[in-house]
Amino acid sequence: MSLADILNAVVSFNKDAVVENVTKEISNKTDVDDILNKGLIGAMDVVGENFSRGDIFVPEMLQSAKAMQAGLEVLKPHLASDAAGQKGTVVIGTVKGDLHDIGKNLVSMMVEGAGFNVIDLGVDVDIEKFIAETQIHNADVLCLSALLTTTMPVMEKTVKAVIEAGLKTKTIVGGAPVTATYADQIGSDGFSKDAPGAVALIRKLISAA
Amino acid sequence: MNSIERMKAAIELKPVDRVPNAPFYEAPICTYFGSSMRAALMESQAMVDAHLQAVEEFQFDWAIMGMNLIGGIIPAALGCRVVYPENELPQILETAVKTIDDVEKVANSDIFTDHMEEFLKGVSKLHTRLKGQVPLAAEYISPFTIATRLRGTNEIMSDMYENPGLVKELQEAIVPLNISVGKALADAGVEYIFYGADMECPVLLSPNHYKEFVHEPTSKVCNELSRLGLKVLPHMCGNIVKSGIVDMLLEMDIHGIMPGNLTQENVFDIRELKEKVKERICVFDNINPNGPLLIGNPEEVKKKTREHLERAKGMSGYIFSTAGTSAPTTPKENFTAMNNEVLNFEWA
Repeated sequence: MSLADILNAVVSFNKDAVVENVTKEISNKTDVDDILNKGLIGAMDVVGENFSRGDIFVPEMLQSAKAMQAGLEVLKPHLASDAAGQKGTVVIGTVKGDLHDIGKNLVSMMVEGAGFNVIDLGVDVDIEKFIAETQIHNADVLCLSALLTTTMPVMEKTVKAVIEAGLKTKTIVGGAPVTATYADQIGSDGFSKDAPGAVALIRKLISAA
Repeated sequence: MNSIERMKAAIELKPVDRVPNAPFYEAPICTYFGSSMRAALMESQAMVDAHLQAVEEFQFDWAIMGMNLIGGIIPAALGCRVVYPENELPQILETAVKTIDDVEKVANSDIFTDHMEEFLKGVSKLHTRLKGQVPLAAEYISPFTIATRLRGTNEIMSDMYENPGLVKELQEAIVPLNISVGKALADAGVEYIFYGADMECPVLLSPNHYKEFVHEPTSKVCNELSRLGLKVLPHMCGNIVKSGIVDMLLEMDIHGIMPGNLTQENVFDIRELKEKVKERICVFDNINPNGPLLIGNPEEVKKKTREHLERAKGMSGYIFSTAGTSAPTTPKENFTAMNNEVLNFEWA
Protein backbone atom coordinates (compact mmCIF):
# COMPACT_ATOMS: atom_id res chain seq x y z
CA MET A 1 0.00 0.00 0.00
CA SER A 2 1.41 3.43 -0.89
CA LEU A 3 0.56 6.91 -1.97
CA ALA A 4 1.02 5.68 -5.52
CA ASP A 5 -2.01 3.45 -5.04
CA ILE A 6 -4.11 6.50 -4.15
CA LEU A 7 -2.77 8.36 -7.15
CA ASN A 8 -3.43 5.45 -9.49
CA ALA A 9 -6.93 4.93 -8.10
CA VAL A 10 -7.83 8.58 -8.76
CA VAL A 11 -6.32 8.50 -12.24
CA SER A 12 -8.27 5.34 -13.07
CA PHE A 13 -11.32 6.86 -11.31
CA ASN A 14 -11.82 3.95 -8.97
CA LYS A 15 -13.69 5.75 -6.19
CA ASP A 16 -13.91 2.72 -3.88
CA ALA A 17 -10.18 2.10 -4.17
CA VAL A 18 -9.46 5.78 -3.43
CA VAL A 19 -11.54 5.68 -0.25
CA GLU A 20 -10.04 2.35 0.80
CA ASN A 21 -6.45 3.46 0.19
CA VAL A 22 -6.85 6.85 1.86
CA THR A 23 -8.41 5.14 4.88
CA LYS A 24 -5.53 2.67 5.06
CA GLU A 25 -2.88 5.36 4.75
CA ILE A 26 -4.51 7.32 7.59
CA SER A 27 -4.49 4.13 9.70
CA ASN A 28 -0.82 3.63 8.82
CA LYS A 29 -0.11 7.11 10.23
CA THR A 30 1.11 8.40 6.89
CA ASP A 31 1.48 12.19 6.98
CA VAL A 32 -1.95 13.53 5.95
CA ASP A 33 -0.32 16.36 4.00
CA ASP A 34 1.48 13.75 1.92
CA ILE A 35 -1.76 11.88 1.33
CA LEU A 36 -3.28 15.15 0.15
CA ASN A 37 -0.39 16.54 -1.87
CA LYS A 38 1.36 13.44 -3.21
CA GLY A 39 -1.73 11.27 -3.46
CA LEU A 40 -4.89 13.20 -4.26
CA ILE A 41 -3.52 16.47 -5.61
CA GLY A 42 -0.69 14.70 -7.42
CA ALA A 43 -3.27 12.49 -9.08
CA MET A 44 -5.26 15.44 -10.36
CA ASP A 45 -2.07 16.88 -11.85
CA VAL A 46 -1.67 13.62 -13.78
CA VAL A 47 -5.34 13.75 -14.79
CA GLY A 48 -4.84 17.31 -16.02
CA GLU A 49 -1.81 16.31 -18.07
CA ASN A 50 -3.71 13.38 -19.58
CA PHE A 51 -6.59 15.72 -20.49
CA SER A 52 -4.27 18.30 -22.04
CA ARG A 53 -2.63 15.59 -24.14
CA GLY A 54 -6.01 14.35 -25.33
CA ASP A 55 -5.55 10.95 -23.66
CA ILE A 56 -8.72 11.40 -21.63
CA PHE A 57 -11.83 13.52 -22.10
CA VAL A 58 -14.43 15.35 -20.02
CA PRO A 59 -16.36 12.28 -18.78
CA GLU A 60 -13.13 10.66 -17.52
CA MET A 61 -11.95 13.91 -15.96
CA LEU A 62 -15.25 14.26 -14.11
CA GLN A 63 -15.01 10.69 -12.81
CA SER A 64 -11.46 11.27 -11.56
CA ALA A 65 -12.53 14.51 -9.88
CA LYS A 66 -15.37 12.68 -8.14
CA ALA A 67 -12.98 9.93 -6.99
CA MET A 68 -10.61 12.58 -5.69
CA GLN A 69 -13.45 14.32 -3.83
CA ALA A 70 -14.42 11.01 -2.20
CA GLY A 71 -10.87 10.63 -0.94
CA LEU A 72 -10.80 14.22 0.25
CA GLU A 73 -13.97 13.67 2.30
CA VAL A 74 -12.24 10.82 4.15
CA LEU A 75 -9.14 12.93 4.69
CA LYS A 76 -10.76 16.23 5.68
CA PRO A 77 -11.35 15.46 9.40
CA HIS A 78 -7.63 14.70 9.73
CA LEU A 79 -6.36 17.84 8.03
CA ALA A 80 -5.44 21.00 9.88
CA SER A 81 -8.40 23.37 9.68
CA ASP A 82 -6.71 25.71 7.22
CA ALA A 83 -4.93 23.03 5.20
CA ALA A 84 -7.40 22.96 2.32
CA GLY A 85 -7.04 26.67 1.77
CA GLN A 86 -3.41 27.10 2.61
CA LYS A 87 -2.32 27.55 -0.99
CA GLY A 88 -4.59 30.51 -1.60
CA THR A 89 -8.18 31.47 -2.28
CA VAL A 90 -9.76 31.48 -5.70
CA VAL A 91 -13.17 32.94 -6.57
CA ILE A 92 -14.69 31.55 -9.75
CA GLY A 93 -17.86 31.99 -11.76
CA THR A 94 -19.42 32.23 -15.20
CA VAL A 95 -20.05 35.85 -16.15
CA LYS A 96 -23.42 37.60 -16.26
CA GLY A 97 -25.68 36.41 -19.04
CA ASP A 98 -23.91 33.07 -19.47
CA LEU A 99 -25.39 29.94 -17.93
CA HIS A 100 -22.80 27.45 -19.12
CA ASP A 101 -20.89 25.73 -16.39
CA ILE A 102 -18.95 22.77 -17.68
CA GLY A 103 -15.67 24.61 -18.20
CA LYS A 104 -16.09 26.55 -15.00
CA ASN A 105 -16.88 23.34 -13.08
CA LEU A 106 -13.85 21.55 -14.48
CA VAL A 107 -11.60 24.44 -13.49
CA SER A 108 -13.26 24.63 -10.08
CA MET A 109 -12.72 20.92 -9.43
CA MET A 110 -9.14 20.95 -10.67
CA VAL A 111 -8.23 24.05 -8.66
CA GLU A 112 -9.81 22.63 -5.51
CA GLY A 113 -8.07 19.36 -6.26
CA ALA A 114 -4.80 21.28 -6.38
CA GLY A 115 -5.35 22.39 -2.79
CA PHE A 116 -6.74 25.88 -3.18
CA ASN A 117 -9.74 27.22 -1.31
CA VAL A 118 -12.35 27.65 -4.03
CA ILE A 119 -15.40 29.90 -3.80
CA ASP A 120 -17.60 28.86 -6.70
CA LEU A 121 -20.25 31.51 -7.38
CA GLY A 122 -21.97 29.47 -10.09
CA VAL A 123 -23.27 30.86 -13.36
CA ASP A 124 -24.78 34.16 -14.52
CA VAL A 125 -22.86 36.07 -11.84
CA ASP A 126 -23.32 39.83 -11.49
CA ILE A 127 -20.23 42.00 -11.63
CA GLU A 128 -21.16 43.39 -8.20
CA LYS A 129 -21.27 39.88 -6.74
CA PHE A 130 -17.84 39.04 -8.17
CA ILE A 131 -16.41 42.15 -6.55
CA ALA A 132 -18.16 41.63 -3.21
CA GLU A 133 -17.17 37.96 -2.89
CA THR A 134 -13.61 38.68 -3.97
CA GLN A 135 -13.38 41.28 -1.18
CA ILE A 136 -15.11 39.14 1.46
CA HIS A 137 -12.79 36.18 0.86
CA ASN A 138 -9.71 38.28 0.19
CA ALA A 139 -9.24 36.20 -2.93
CA ASP A 140 -5.85 35.81 -4.54
CA VAL A 141 -7.30 35.05 -7.95
CA LEU A 142 -10.64 35.69 -9.63
CA CYS A 143 -11.46 33.29 -12.49
CA LEU A 144 -14.01 34.38 -15.10
CA SER A 145 -15.56 31.91 -17.49
CA ALA A 146 -17.67 32.42 -20.62
CA LEU A 147 -18.78 30.00 -23.28
CA LEU A 148 -20.66 32.45 -25.41
CA THR A 149 -19.18 35.06 -27.66
CA THR A 150 -22.16 37.15 -26.61
CA THR A 151 -21.04 37.24 -22.99
CA MET A 152 -17.32 37.76 -23.52
CA PRO A 153 -17.67 41.57 -23.24
CA VAL A 154 -18.87 41.11 -19.65
CA MET A 155 -15.43 39.74 -18.83
CA GLU A 156 -13.89 43.05 -19.79
CA LYS A 157 -16.36 44.95 -17.62
CA THR A 158 -15.65 42.65 -14.68
CA VAL A 159 -11.87 42.98 -15.03
CA LYS A 160 -12.25 46.77 -15.16
CA ALA A 161 -14.46 46.69 -12.07
CA VAL A 162 -11.79 44.77 -10.15
CA ILE A 163 -9.19 47.37 -11.11
CA GLU A 164 -11.52 50.28 -10.30
CA ALA A 165 -12.31 48.74 -6.90
CA GLY A 166 -8.58 48.86 -6.15
CA LEU A 167 -8.34 45.13 -5.52
CA LYS A 168 -4.97 43.39 -5.69
CA THR A 169 -6.68 40.21 -6.84
CA LYS A 170 -5.37 38.74 -10.08
CA THR A 171 -7.97 38.08 -12.76
CA ILE A 172 -7.82 35.24 -15.23
CA VAL A 173 -10.23 34.36 -18.03
CA GLY A 174 -11.13 31.26 -19.98
CA GLY A 175 -13.82 29.54 -21.97
CA ALA A 176 -14.36 28.26 -25.49
CA PRO A 177 -14.33 31.57 -27.38
CA VAL A 178 -11.69 33.30 -25.24
CA THR A 179 -8.14 33.72 -26.50
CA ALA A 180 -4.86 34.91 -24.99
CA THR A 181 -5.03 37.95 -27.25
CA TYR A 182 -8.47 38.79 -25.97
CA ALA A 183 -7.29 38.31 -22.38
CA ASP A 184 -4.45 40.77 -22.97
CA GLN A 185 -6.76 43.19 -24.69
CA ILE A 186 -9.16 43.40 -21.75
CA GLY A 187 -6.37 43.76 -19.19
CA SER A 188 -6.71 40.45 -17.36
CA ASP A 189 -3.68 38.86 -15.74
CA GLY A 190 -3.88 35.63 -17.65
CA PHE A 191 -5.68 33.14 -19.80
CA SER A 192 -5.84 29.40 -19.90
CA LYS A 193 -7.20 27.20 -22.62
CA ASP A 194 -8.13 24.41 -20.22
CA ALA A 195 -8.54 23.42 -16.58
CA PRO A 196 -5.03 22.03 -16.02
CA GLY A 197 -3.59 25.19 -17.53
CA ALA A 198 -5.72 27.25 -15.15
CA VAL A 199 -4.21 25.42 -12.16
CA ALA A 200 -0.68 26.07 -13.44
CA LEU A 201 -1.51 29.72 -14.10
CA ILE A 202 -3.01 30.22 -10.63
CA ARG A 203 0.04 28.64 -9.02
CA LYS A 204 2.29 30.95 -11.03
CA LEU A 205 0.31 34.10 -10.24
CA ILE A 206 0.11 33.35 -6.52
CA SER A 207 3.77 32.42 -6.20
CA ALA A 208 4.76 35.62 -8.02
CA ALA A 209 2.55 37.84 -5.82
CA MET B 1 -24.96 32.34 -61.08
CA ASN B 2 -27.35 33.38 -58.36
CA SER B 3 -26.72 32.25 -54.79
CA ILE B 4 -28.89 29.17 -55.08
CA GLU B 5 -27.01 28.03 -58.17
CA ARG B 6 -23.62 28.90 -56.69
CA MET B 7 -24.22 26.98 -53.45
CA LYS B 8 -25.70 24.03 -55.32
CA ALA B 9 -22.68 23.88 -57.62
CA ALA B 10 -20.26 23.95 -54.69
CA ILE B 11 -22.20 21.27 -52.81
CA GLU B 12 -22.03 19.11 -55.93
CA LEU B 13 -18.31 19.90 -56.34
CA LYS B 14 -18.90 21.62 -59.67
CA PRO B 15 -17.25 24.87 -60.89
CA VAL B 16 -18.45 28.17 -59.41
CA ASP B 17 -18.23 31.74 -60.74
CA ARG B 18 -16.85 33.03 -57.42
CA VAL B 19 -16.29 31.77 -53.89
CA PRO B 20 -19.61 30.91 -52.26
CA ASN B 21 -19.90 33.12 -49.19
CA ALA B 22 -21.80 31.49 -46.35
CA PRO B 23 -20.68 32.72 -42.92
CA PHE B 24 -22.57 32.40 -39.62
CA TYR B 25 -23.77 35.93 -39.48
CA GLU B 26 -26.98 35.75 -37.45
CA ALA B 27 -25.81 37.25 -34.15
CA PRO B 28 -23.96 40.25 -35.68
CA ILE B 29 -26.81 41.11 -38.00
CA CYS B 30 -29.21 41.15 -35.05
CA THR B 31 -26.97 43.92 -33.73
CA TYR B 32 -26.51 45.68 -37.07
CA PHE B 33 -30.10 45.52 -38.30
CA GLY B 34 -32.39 44.23 -35.53
CA SER B 35 -34.44 46.40 -33.21
CA SER B 36 -33.23 44.00 -30.49
CA MET B 37 -31.63 40.59 -30.48
CA ARG B 38 -34.77 39.00 -29.04
CA ALA B 39 -36.96 40.55 -31.72
CA ALA B 40 -34.64 39.62 -34.57
CA LEU B 41 -34.49 36.04 -33.30
CA MET B 42 -38.04 35.51 -32.09
CA GLU B 43 -40.48 37.69 -34.02
CA SER B 44 -41.11 36.58 -37.57
CA GLN B 45 -41.31 40.00 -39.21
CA ALA B 46 -38.29 41.44 -37.37
CA MET B 47 -36.39 38.27 -38.27
CA VAL B 48 -37.25 38.63 -41.94
CA ASP B 49 -36.37 42.34 -41.99
CA ALA B 50 -32.95 41.79 -40.40
CA HIS B 51 -32.00 38.91 -42.72
CA LEU B 52 -33.18 40.72 -45.85
CA GLN B 53 -31.06 43.76 -44.99
CA ALA B 54 -28.09 41.50 -44.29
CA VAL B 55 -28.38 39.53 -47.52
CA GLU B 56 -28.81 42.73 -49.52
CA GLU B 57 -25.89 44.58 -47.93
CA PHE B 58 -23.41 41.70 -47.67
CA GLN B 59 -24.55 39.56 -50.64
CA PHE B 60 -24.36 36.39 -48.60
CA ASP B 61 -24.96 33.19 -50.53
CA TRP B 62 -27.31 31.89 -47.88
CA ALA B 63 -29.62 33.20 -45.21
CA ILE B 64 -29.04 31.27 -42.01
CA MET B 65 -31.18 31.42 -38.90
CA GLY B 66 -31.96 29.38 -35.84
CA MET B 67 -29.76 30.43 -32.91
CA ASN B 68 -32.93 30.80 -30.87
CA LEU B 69 -34.24 27.47 -32.19
CA ILE B 70 -31.34 25.46 -30.81
CA GLY B 71 -30.69 27.62 -27.78
CA GLY B 72 -34.22 28.24 -26.56
CA ILE B 73 -37.21 27.05 -28.56
CA ILE B 74 -36.36 23.34 -28.65
CA PRO B 75 -35.13 23.08 -25.03
CA ALA B 76 -38.22 25.01 -23.84
CA ALA B 77 -40.58 22.80 -25.84
CA LEU B 78 -38.97 19.75 -24.23
CA GLY B 79 -39.41 21.00 -20.67
CA CYS B 80 -36.56 23.37 -19.83
CA ARG B 81 -37.31 26.73 -18.25
CA VAL B 82 -35.99 29.29 -20.74
CA VAL B 83 -35.90 33.06 -20.82
CA TYR B 84 -35.44 35.26 -23.88
CA PRO B 85 -33.61 38.44 -22.81
CA GLU B 86 -34.00 41.52 -24.98
CA ASN B 87 -30.40 41.78 -26.13
CA GLU B 88 -28.92 38.39 -25.40
CA LEU B 89 -29.38 34.87 -26.66
CA PRO B 90 -31.99 32.65 -24.97
CA GLN B 91 -30.92 31.26 -21.62
CA ILE B 92 -31.86 27.94 -20.03
CA LEU B 93 -32.59 28.58 -16.35
CA GLU B 94 -33.61 25.07 -15.38
CA THR B 95 -33.03 21.71 -17.02
CA ALA B 96 -35.87 19.28 -17.75
CA VAL B 97 -34.48 15.83 -17.03
CA LYS B 98 -33.72 15.15 -13.38
CA THR B 99 -34.19 11.36 -13.50
CA ILE B 100 -34.81 8.69 -16.11
CA ASP B 101 -38.56 9.03 -15.36
CA ASP B 102 -38.48 12.44 -17.06
CA VAL B 103 -37.44 10.90 -20.38
CA GLU B 104 -41.03 9.82 -21.07
CA LYS B 105 -42.22 13.41 -20.57
CA VAL B 106 -39.68 14.51 -23.18
CA ALA B 107 -40.86 11.82 -25.58
CA ASN B 108 -44.47 13.00 -25.19
CA SER B 109 -43.69 16.70 -25.62
CA ASP B 110 -45.41 18.81 -28.25
CA ILE B 111 -42.42 20.42 -29.90
CA PHE B 112 -44.55 22.75 -32.04
CA THR B 113 -45.05 25.44 -29.43
CA ASP B 114 -46.10 29.01 -30.19
CA HIS B 115 -42.45 30.08 -30.32
CA MET B 116 -41.70 27.26 -32.77
CA GLU B 117 -44.62 28.23 -34.99
CA GLU B 118 -43.55 31.88 -34.97
CA PHE B 119 -40.02 30.88 -35.92
CA LEU B 120 -41.27 28.66 -38.75
CA LYS B 121 -43.51 31.52 -39.91
CA GLY B 122 -40.42 33.73 -40.13
CA VAL B 123 -38.54 31.08 -42.11
CA SER B 124 -41.45 30.71 -44.52
CA LYS B 125 -41.82 34.48 -44.98
CA LEU B 126 -38.12 34.90 -45.62
CA HIS B 127 -38.19 32.07 -48.14
CA THR B 128 -40.93 33.89 -50.03
CA ARG B 129 -39.14 37.25 -49.90
CA LEU B 130 -35.85 35.80 -51.19
CA LYS B 131 -37.70 34.90 -54.40
CA GLY B 132 -35.69 31.83 -55.28
CA GLN B 133 -32.43 33.79 -55.40
CA VAL B 134 -30.81 32.93 -52.06
CA PRO B 135 -31.12 29.57 -50.28
CA LEU B 136 -32.18 29.22 -46.69
CA ALA B 137 -30.15 27.43 -44.03
CA ALA B 138 -31.11 26.59 -40.47
CA GLU B 139 -29.09 25.96 -37.36
CA TYR B 140 -29.96 22.59 -35.88
CA ILE B 141 -28.57 20.44 -33.06
CA SER B 142 -27.83 16.79 -32.58
CA PRO B 143 -29.80 14.58 -30.17
CA PHE B 144 -26.74 14.37 -27.91
CA THR B 145 -26.32 18.14 -27.69
CA ILE B 146 -30.06 18.54 -27.05
CA ALA B 147 -29.67 15.93 -24.30
CA THR B 148 -27.00 18.07 -22.63
CA ARG B 149 -29.40 21.02 -22.73
CA LEU B 150 -32.20 18.97 -21.16
CA ARG B 151 -30.14 17.17 -18.54
CA GLY B 152 -27.13 19.45 -17.97
CA THR B 153 -23.71 18.94 -19.51
CA ASN B 154 -21.92 17.72 -16.38
CA GLU B 155 -24.77 15.35 -15.67
CA ILE B 156 -24.78 13.80 -19.14
CA MET B 157 -21.00 13.51 -19.12
CA SER B 158 -21.19 11.76 -15.73
CA ASP B 159 -24.12 9.61 -16.87
CA MET B 160 -21.93 8.11 -19.58
CA TYR B 161 -20.24 6.15 -16.80
CA GLU B 162 -22.85 6.19 -14.06
CA ASN B 163 -26.15 5.95 -15.93
CA PRO B 164 -25.49 5.09 -19.57
CA GLY B 165 -29.05 3.88 -20.14
CA LEU B 166 -30.36 7.38 -19.52
CA VAL B 167 -28.04 8.88 -22.13
CA LYS B 168 -29.25 6.40 -24.74
CA GLU B 169 -32.96 6.51 -23.83
CA LEU B 170 -33.02 10.29 -23.76
CA GLN B 171 -31.52 10.51 -27.23
CA GLU B 172 -33.95 7.85 -28.49
CA ALA B 173 -36.79 10.06 -27.24
CA ILE B 174 -35.28 13.11 -28.92
CA VAL B 175 -34.61 11.58 -32.37
CA PRO B 176 -38.22 11.56 -33.71
CA LEU B 177 -38.88 15.04 -32.30
CA ASN B 178 -35.70 16.34 -33.89
CA ILE B 179 -36.64 14.80 -37.23
CA SER B 180 -40.09 16.39 -37.06
CA VAL B 181 -38.40 19.78 -36.64
CA GLY B 182 -36.24 19.03 -39.67
CA LYS B 183 -39.31 18.18 -41.72
CA ALA B 184 -41.03 21.41 -40.64
CA LEU B 185 -37.94 23.39 -41.62
CA ALA B 186 -37.88 21.73 -45.03
CA ASP B 187 -41.60 22.48 -45.47
CA ALA B 188 -40.92 26.13 -44.59
CA GLY B 189 -38.28 26.40 -47.32
CA VAL B 190 -35.00 25.47 -45.66
CA GLU B 191 -32.47 23.71 -47.91
CA TYR B 192 -29.34 23.53 -45.77
CA ILE B 193 -29.04 22.10 -42.27
CA PHE B 194 -26.14 23.31 -40.15
CA TYR B 195 -25.99 20.24 -37.94
CA GLY B 196 -24.37 21.46 -34.74
CA ALA B 197 -22.64 18.75 -32.73
CA ASP B 198 -21.19 21.01 -30.07
CA MET B 199 -21.04 18.70 -27.09
CA GLU B 200 -19.84 15.50 -28.74
CA CYS B 201 -16.82 17.05 -30.41
CA PRO B 202 -13.45 15.33 -29.93
CA VAL B 203 -12.34 18.09 -27.59
CA LEU B 204 -14.90 16.85 -25.05
CA LEU B 205 -15.68 13.20 -25.87
CA SER B 206 -13.48 10.25 -26.75
CA PRO B 207 -14.02 8.61 -30.14
CA ASN B 208 -15.10 5.46 -28.30
CA HIS B 209 -17.84 7.33 -26.44
CA TYR B 210 -18.85 9.02 -29.68
CA LYS B 211 -19.25 5.62 -31.27
CA GLU B 212 -21.05 4.14 -28.27
CA PHE B 213 -23.49 6.96 -27.55
CA VAL B 214 -23.66 9.42 -30.43
CA HIS B 215 -23.11 7.69 -33.75
CA GLU B 216 -26.41 5.82 -33.97
CA PRO B 217 -28.83 8.66 -33.09
CA THR B 218 -26.83 11.07 -35.26
CA SER B 219 -26.98 8.63 -38.19
CA LYS B 220 -30.73 8.26 -37.80
CA VAL B 221 -31.31 12.01 -37.84
CA CYS B 222 -28.83 12.89 -40.62
CA ASN B 223 -30.03 10.09 -42.89
CA GLU B 224 -33.66 11.05 -42.43
CA LEU B 225 -32.99 14.77 -43.00
CA SER B 226 -31.17 13.84 -46.17
CA ARG B 227 -34.08 11.62 -47.27
CA LEU B 228 -36.33 14.67 -46.79
CA GLY B 229 -34.23 16.46 -49.41
CA LEU B 230 -32.21 18.63 -47.03
CA LYS B 231 -28.48 19.18 -47.47
CA VAL B 232 -26.94 18.07 -44.18
CA LEU B 233 -23.76 19.81 -43.01
CA PRO B 234 -22.33 18.58 -39.70
CA HIS B 235 -20.27 21.10 -37.73
CA MET B 236 -17.81 20.07 -35.06
CA CYS B 237 -14.78 21.54 -33.31
CA GLY B 238 -11.58 19.64 -32.54
CA ASN B 239 -9.44 17.35 -34.66
CA ILE B 240 -12.17 15.43 -36.42
CA VAL B 241 -9.72 13.64 -38.74
CA LYS B 242 -7.24 12.33 -36.16
CA SER B 243 -10.05 11.23 -33.85
CA GLY B 244 -11.71 9.23 -36.62
CA ILE B 245 -14.95 11.18 -36.27
CA VAL B 246 -14.87 12.10 -39.96
CA ASP B 247 -14.87 8.42 -40.90
CA MET B 248 -18.03 7.93 -38.84
CA LEU B 249 -19.63 11.03 -40.36
CA LEU B 250 -18.84 9.77 -43.84
CA GLU B 251 -20.90 6.65 -43.13
CA MET B 252 -23.97 8.93 -43.07
CA ASP B 253 -25.87 10.70 -45.84
CA ILE B 254 -24.22 14.07 -45.44
CA HIS B 255 -23.34 16.71 -48.02
CA GLY B 256 -20.55 18.72 -46.45
CA ILE B 257 -18.52 19.14 -43.28
CA MET B 258 -18.00 22.37 -41.42
CA PRO B 259 -14.91 22.04 -39.20
CA GLY B 260 -14.60 24.43 -36.29
CA ASN B 261 -11.85 25.55 -33.99
CA LEU B 262 -8.99 23.26 -33.07
CA THR B 263 -8.13 25.40 -30.08
CA GLN B 264 -9.42 28.81 -29.14
CA GLU B 265 -6.83 30.47 -31.35
CA ASN B 266 -6.44 27.95 -34.16
CA VAL B 267 -8.87 26.40 -36.57
CA PHE B 268 -8.77 23.01 -38.23
CA ASP B 269 -6.78 22.98 -41.46
CA ILE B 270 -9.20 22.90 -44.37
CA ARG B 271 -6.62 21.21 -46.61
CA GLU B 272 -6.27 18.33 -44.16
CA LEU B 273 -10.01 17.84 -44.23
CA LYS B 274 -10.11 18.02 -48.03
CA GLU B 275 -7.42 15.36 -48.30
CA LYS B 276 -9.57 13.15 -46.11
CA VAL B 277 -12.96 13.63 -47.78
CA LYS B 278 -11.52 14.05 -51.28
CA GLU B 279 -14.32 14.47 -53.88
CA ARG B 280 -17.02 12.86 -51.76
CA ILE B 281 -18.55 15.94 -50.11
CA CYS B 282 -17.95 19.67 -49.94
CA VAL B 283 -15.98 21.46 -47.23
CA PHE B 284 -16.78 24.71 -45.48
CA ASP B 285 -13.87 26.94 -44.55
CA ASN B 286 -13.60 28.14 -41.01
CA ILE B 287 -12.17 31.56 -40.30
CA ASN B 288 -11.97 31.98 -36.53
CA PRO B 289 -14.93 34.15 -35.43
CA ASN B 290 -13.08 34.99 -32.22
CA GLY B 291 -9.82 36.03 -33.89
CA PRO B 292 -9.18 39.25 -35.83
CA LEU B 293 -12.80 39.25 -36.97
CA LEU B 294 -13.86 40.00 -33.39
CA ILE B 295 -10.87 41.74 -31.86
CA GLY B 296 -8.76 42.94 -34.79
CA ASN B 297 -9.06 45.73 -37.32
CA PRO B 298 -10.26 45.56 -40.95
CA GLU B 299 -6.71 45.22 -42.33
CA GLU B 300 -6.01 42.24 -40.05
CA VAL B 301 -9.35 40.68 -41.01
CA LYS B 302 -8.60 41.19 -44.69
CA LYS B 303 -5.18 39.52 -44.31
CA LYS B 304 -6.57 36.53 -42.40
CA THR B 305 -9.41 36.09 -44.89
CA ARG B 306 -6.99 36.15 -47.80
CA GLU B 307 -4.81 33.53 -46.09
CA HIS B 308 -7.81 31.21 -45.89
CA LEU B 309 -8.80 31.82 -49.50
CA GLU B 310 -5.28 31.38 -50.86
CA ARG B 311 -4.90 28.11 -48.97
CA ALA B 312 -8.13 26.82 -50.47
CA LYS B 313 -7.61 28.18 -53.99
CA GLY B 314 -8.44 25.63 -56.65
CA MET B 315 -10.21 23.31 -54.24
CA SER B 316 -13.41 21.75 -55.54
CA GLY B 317 -16.50 21.90 -53.36
CA TYR B 318 -15.24 24.84 -51.31
CA ILE B 319 -17.52 27.26 -49.45
CA PHE B 320 -16.21 30.13 -47.36
CA SER B 321 -17.59 30.33 -43.83
CA THR B 322 -16.79 31.06 -40.22
CA ALA B 323 -15.85 28.36 -37.71
CA GLY B 324 -19.16 28.75 -35.94
CA THR B 325 -21.22 31.64 -34.70
CA SER B 326 -19.81 35.14 -34.94
CA ALA B 327 -20.23 37.31 -31.87
CA PRO B 328 -22.95 39.97 -31.89
CA THR B 329 -20.24 42.44 -30.94
CA THR B 330 -18.24 41.72 -34.10
CA PRO B 331 -17.43 45.20 -35.50
CA LYS B 332 -19.40 45.83 -38.67
CA GLU B 333 -16.31 47.19 -40.45
CA ASN B 334 -14.55 43.87 -39.77
CA PHE B 335 -17.45 41.85 -41.11
CA THR B 336 -17.51 44.09 -44.17
CA ALA B 337 -13.74 43.67 -44.69
CA MET B 338 -14.08 39.87 -44.56
CA ASN B 339 -17.04 39.93 -46.86
CA ASN B 340 -15.43 42.18 -49.47
CA GLU B 341 -12.31 40.05 -49.53
CA VAL B 342 -14.37 36.94 -50.26
CA LEU B 343 -16.54 38.60 -52.90
CA ASN B 344 -13.56 40.11 -54.73
CA PHE B 345 -11.23 37.13 -54.53
CA GLU B 346 -10.13 35.79 -57.90
CA TRP B 347 -10.98 32.16 -57.52
CA ALA B 348 -10.40 30.85 -61.01
